[in-house]
Amino acid sequence: MNTSPIPALGLCAAMLLGCASINDPSHGVNVTQLRADERGFVAGLGIESQDLVTIADKMARGILGAGPVANAAGRPNIVIEPIVNDTRFPIDKDIFLTRIRVALNKQASGQLNFLARDRIDALEKERNLKLSGQVTGGEKVQQNEFKGADFILTGTFKGISSRGKAGASDYVLYTFQLLDPQTSDVVWEDFHEIKKQGSDDVTYR
Amino acid sequence: MNPARVICVLVLMLAACKAPTLHRAPEYSSDLVAEGRRLIAQAPARDKNLWRLRVALLAFKQGRHKEARELFDLALPPVGTVLAGGASTRRAKSLFAPEEVKVFYGEPFERAMGWFYRGLLYWQDGEPDNARACFRTAQLFDGAPEADHRGDWILLDYLDGLATAKLGGDGRAQLRRARINAGRTKLPDYDVSANVIVVFQFGFGPLKKTGGDTGEKIVYASGHAQARSAVIRMPDRTFAAPALDDLTFQATTRGMRQVDWVLARKARVKNAADLVGDISFLPGVVLAQPEGTRTAGLALVATSLTAKAVGGSTQPRADTRTWNNLPQHLAFATLRLPPGEREVDIDFHDANDNLISNFSRRLKLNIKPDGDTVVLVADQ
Repeated sequence: MNTSPIPALGLCAAMLLGCASINDPSHGVNVTQLRADERGFVAGLGIESQDLVTIADKMARGILGAGPVANAAGRPNIVIEPIVNDTRFPIDKDIFLTRIRVALNKQASGQLNFLARDRIDALEKERNLKLSGQVTGGEKVQQNEFKGADFILTGTFKGISSRGKAGASDYVLYTFQLLDPQTSDVVWEDFHEIKKQGSDDVTYR
Repeated sequence: MNPARVICVLVLMLAACKAPTLHRAPEYSSDLVAEGRRLIAQAPARDKNLWRLRVALLAFKQGRHKEARELFDLALPPVGTVLAGGASTRRAKSLFAPEEVKVFYGEPFERAMGWFYRGLLYWQDGEPDNARACFRTAQLFDGAPEADHRGDWILLDYLDGLATAKLGGDGRAQLRRARINAGRTKLPDYDVSANVIVVFQFGFGPLKKTGGDTGEKIVYASGHAQARSAVIRMPDRTFAAPALDDLTFQATTRGMRQVDWVLARKARVKNAADLVGDISFLPGVVLAQPEGTRTAGLALVATSLTAKAVGGSTQPRADTRTWNNLPQHLAFATLRLPPGEREVDIDFHDANDNLISNFSRRLKLNIKPDGDTVVLVADQ
């Protein structure tokens, strides 16, 4: 029988390719570009980028609408304090603060002034170098010119987590407060809450 | 003679004269972390996490925190990740592949230990709230069927409460839970001014083995530890650290895994197929001899061979890959020490409180000027 070898070769190649895809547990999915506020296909129960974007934008709108901020004479100085994380999710706190600051700056169009209190060590070091004459610019430093805050923005994340045979569930409450450091008044407060649940594949339960 | 043949013969002769390729023996260094990295690189994708965890712990014990952090971050899926099914988990559930073809994330006690160590590293980095988050996640993995055994890691609750107290919160609920689970072992009140946390680990943890008729179950070989307590000796005072958490207990109280049902089904298929293969072969051969029953006999033989092939190919074997450098017991002590280098003597004692002299050592602590210093000390 004289048959063409091409179909047989094709069949062999298909079989080999099939074996490769089954045996390789690390085979991936093509890269997909998403907006930061979109929920991706690897979404989990934790604090994710879409939560960060939603919360930062919501808080920025709330702060700008708060009476003491909206009616402040001149540009109020704001210090952002590190977030207190009381959940079961380790987080990069800087990314939350940065996102909120950027959202505020973008929406406020220069109505607010943020103080880099988190960089105070570097700022003090630079000022001392100037004052000691080790670098130029010391003559311009007359006195302590670091500004005091008109408002302090604080945030706390709290969570309730449970896990059972049916899966895991996580509720996270994000609260933010704007404080007046002179009076200790809470001049603005808002929250956002997210509950997620999911279940691992049966082979990991 | 045909010149082509001459050339061909010459080429063959030259090829034969070629010196054999020498394969140098692999060079191994005494740097176990570097060797571990080599093993991670060589491991198949499904085993890389297992090797990362082993090497990360090794790096942590050697005080190489940066490397340990990097490896733990690679091995542990981000907190809250839902471990979704994929090609490897589908294969693990199929009849013809063992469970261990899935990507390794470990059993709950191994995942809890991964987050425990990651939490200690966060604390060392000056992030006690993120450390606390890791301890809570670790505790959540302990979903034992019996309520008494669920979330009963002592040190996780104690350190959760200590971090809370240090952050100005109320850690009394966590301390109360830790004391209930510690039983007769006395846990000290929180000292929020303590700036050194020494975590001890004793012995070698449990190992997984296959059990059941066809290896479809995981059974644990108990871990072993000669040391049961440690004592930190300084010129003017001593601190005792009795063993608290028992990893063999944590491994064996988790109850039945859901994947065990899948493996049990595979085992039933394998046993049934083997049985059909065994009982149908001989009658098939006998019936195939006479002309009148030959067709039926051959059908029985074919059924027998098919059943044997299915039985032989079915793989109900449970996943026994183990994070095998975990300890058997955990203990801790908190100290208050001035910043700078300090030397302390550490002794280990057995269950009868006898000194194990060959475990004793002098430890150099480098106390940070700000924040807490976390030290991991293994008995061997």
